[in-house]
Amino acid sequence: MAIDRNKIIADMSKVKAESNPDGIIPAFNVLVNQMPAQFWNGFTRRMVDAVADEVKDAVEELLINAAHECGYHTGYGIITSKEWDAIVKPMVGGVEDVLHGAFAVFTAWGWAKSEIVELVPGKRMVVRAHDYYEADVAQEYPGKKAPRLMAYMIRGVSAAFMDLAYGGAYDSTGKQGLYTFRCKQTKGIEKGDPFGEFLVVPAAEYDTL
Amino acid sequence: MAALKLAHRFDAERCRHFIGDQVSVLHCHHYATLFTQLAIDAQDLVDGTKILKEVTEDVVHGVLTKYYSENGISDPQERLEIGVQLYSFYGLGKMVLVSPGSGGGAVEMSTAHVDEGWIKKWGKGKAPVNFIGTGFIAGMFAAAFDKPVRTYQVDEKQSRVMGADKSVFAVSL
Repeated sequence: MAIDRNKIIADMSKVKAESNPDGIIPAFNVLVNQMPAQFWNGFTRRMVDAVADEVKDAVEELLINAAHECGYHTGYGIITSKEWDAIVKPMVGGVEDVLHGAFAVFTAWGWAKSEIVELVPGKRMVVRAHDYYEADVAQEYPGKKAPRLMAYMIRGVSAAFMDLAYGGAYDSTGKQGLYTFRCKQTKGIEKGDPFGEFLVVPAAEYDTL
Repeated sequence: MAALKLAHRFDAERCRHFIGDQVSVLHCHHYATLFTQLAIDAQDLVDGTKILKEVTEDVVHGVLTKYYSENGISDPQERLEIGVQLYSFYGLGKMVLVSPGSGGGAVEMSTAHVDEGWIKKWGKGKAPVNFIGTGFIAGMFAAAFDKPVRTYQVDEKQSRVMGADKSVFAVSL
């Protein structure tokens, strides 16, 4: 059975995050929060804008790493959840299906309306995002256009999903399996492109891009 | 007691979630704590913890001010109750207000997303880390008393991450 992306998005978008009496939302083996996207974008924009040009890359790497680690652990929580078992697992025939399913969930949760447009198992993945909250950062810049590609969350999470698919068994300590892949953003709505595009390759090949 | 009422909807065309009229997104404690750690680690380059507090304050002040206006809530104590509920609604923890007034007061937290997440991820720490909570409180007090952002100084005096049974924040002008 092939992945039915539309069904996954329709079903998973209905999963509600509700806090317990302690004001905490435990779900998918992590603690979840549902802050406005404006908060996440505001922090990344102010951090990147506040530092000198020569260290912007370093700050961006930290932002990507935060998403990469989050994507690795939360991604594993998602693909081992009861919701995944009920909705996605019956459609899964192999590792590649897991990846396509994961991006459908990624879409359903409002991170990015995204899909895999090219996948070479274990070697390369291209993700296209047609709408994503990180692109809203452009609204804060003159001409409503960001000065750089700023979808740090999508970069980190896309690499993390490849880690989970091809980086070996999940390691809750993150010492193995995490950071075996890296992601480069090649297009961005925030910079005026019609969509965002993200290339994921093994970490050892990243510097050759 | 005033009750927070926020409608959730999913825009299937853009695949965006909205809480009220705000685009909302689910993130986990790994992301929140790593952003917090990033803010701390970047101190040599930029005052990251100040940015984290201020962006939270700005966003919360904006959300609450709009909510009060649209729902006709003018009493500061009711406004604060709504703010406390919003904190829990976002999954950020549980606040108890102690003697709140226009001059400040104190806030106690028996649970906090950032602290519980930090402990879950790294164990206990040597300094307070809930800059998101600090900014939230500052924005909540300012919105409740019709003050601009940066009116209130909020200091985390006692921290769950440091081993206390509850976090305690002092709020002053």
